Amino acid sequence: MAGCRKFLAGTLRLYLTCIRNTLEAAMCLQNFPCQEVERHNKPEVELKTSSELILNPILICRNEAEKCLIETSINSLRISLKVRQADELENILTKKFLRFLSMRAEAFQVLRRKPVPGYDISFLITNYHCEDMQKSKLIDFIVQFMEDIDKEISELKMSVNTRGRLVAAEFLKQFI
Amino acid sequence: MACFDRASPALKETLLKLHCAKKPMEIDQRIYEFGAVEYHVQSSVSEPYLTHLSISTPLLSEEFSSSNGLSYDAIQMIKEIRADALEIVEPAKDGYQLTIRLNLSKIPPGKESIKVITEISTVQAKLLSCQLKEMLRNVNSQEQLQGMYRPIKLVYHHREPFFVIRQPRKITAVFPMRFKEDPDVIIATAFFQELMDVGSSEEWAKAPPCTWSPIPPAELRGEPLEDLSTNCGFVSFDITSHHVKGKRLDRTVWSLLNFHAFVKYHVKCTRGFIQRRMRKRLDSLVKILHSEGPDEEREHEEEPKGCGCMSSFASTSRAKNLKRRCRNLFVRKSNRIRSPVKVRGGMRFRHRWLKIQKFSSPRRYTKLD
Repeated sequence: MAGCRKFLAGTLRLYLTCIRNTLEAAMCLQNFPCQEVERHNKPEVELKTSSELILNPILICRNEAEKCLIETSINSLRISLKVRQADELENILTKKFLRFLSMRAEAFQVLRRKPVPGYDISFLITNYHCEDMQKSKLIDFIVQFMEDIDKEISELKMSVNTRGRLVAAEFLKQFI
Repeated sequence: MACFDRASPALKETLLKLHCAKKPMEIDQRIYEFGAVEYHVQSSVSEPYLTHLSISTPLLSEEFSSSNGLSYDAIQMIKEIRADALEIVEPAKDGYQLTIRLNLSKIPPGKESIKVITEISTVQAKLLSCQLKEMLRNVNSQEQLQGMYRPIKLVYHHREPFFVIRQPRKITAVFPMRFKEDPDVIIATAFFQELMDVGSSEEWAKAPPCTWSPIPPAELRGEPLEDLSTNCGFVSFDITSHHVKGKRLDRTVWSLLNFHAFVKYHVKCTRGFIQRRMRKRLDSLVKILHSEGPDEEREHEEEPKGCGCMSSFASTSRAKNLKRRCRNLFVRKSNRIRSPVKVRGGMRFRHRWLKIQKFSSPRRYTKLD
């Protein structure tokens, strides 16, 4: 059991390191006005107006259920995450939590209100974010966020089951 | 909705108000609970101490009710509350199953009055639990076994029926579970699995065995389809004679009647718990993004350090360099403005005639060119 946990922790570290390195390489954004419309400055990764401004997307998978898509363009970067959902309880907890965060996206600045189809949550980082915030801090945040989501879902699941066990014991106590 | 208190809170409040009133009060009040329970409280100034309380409630099962809807046990149980202060009126008021005449003057004041009035407010719960008590009392009786395996449908709360099946040496209570939302179904399912686990452990060997299955148990075969269509499966409890001995009977009956409400309350609390926890986590996640980064902290720490020429040069920021360059440029420009025309030997002239002589000590001399 301990060996399995160590192995999982090891794979998670590798997965997160890979994402961190990819983000460090991908996060070299610069201001770039729209080529199609004058006086427009939009994230190219969202509009995809000019193919020469978009780099190849990178998909990093830990397993079938957990993956991260990094799409880069000249002035913006989009990171989409798919979080592991082993059973129904994890599924609703993940959905609830990520929906809760998406509805409060303004608190994070870089969080997208709607995830990219096929993923659970998406971030959009533009060159303006990189100018306002430190690049290293942004990368730290994304990696920390991924770690925290995993941890939070597991803890929530455990808490719900523990509460259920306590309530069940309390109910059965009435018959004795 | 979860009300585990046997006493009706609204009825209790009304009766306490009547009992504590210094002047006789005229009251004609109807109280509705759970959509189907109705209380009618009447008190007039002409008879200040007498209050009429009428109760209308859907019975657990129509099959096991007597002609007037009240069993002998139920009537006895009501009379036991306080015989001198309470009298059952026969026949009951039209549209109600039971009418009670209360003599509030015979209820002693103080804490005792609260206790008695609370007891009176539990009449509806007593009426309903009476039927189930009668069924559970006969767990071991052999005479009941002849052709009594048919499930009995009981309705305690509207739209939440459950079944009681008499079997040899036990009675099985089966609860079809329904929820409106999917998250509720999943939380409740997790709870039922925990209930099964806890019930099967040695520590809880004396508790009634509990089983949960997504499909209806075989005992419910032949029941109407609308009663068997659920989205959260069926929970069964096997009640034996051990669970209905003495005071346990009352607790067992109350637990079974309120099982639906108990599960719903748990689901609601769990949802609240998840929400609280998510809110807490949101704050910590936002803090990571907006907290001062380690680079900034390092910069702040390094600022006061180092006093040497090289260190100050090395630590100068780009802005400072730019400032220095600008200053040099400005000085050069201003020099150029002062001497717009370049004169040969002008510098020597400026040195000799325009230079301000320094004050020197008398011992030294000034070298003349």
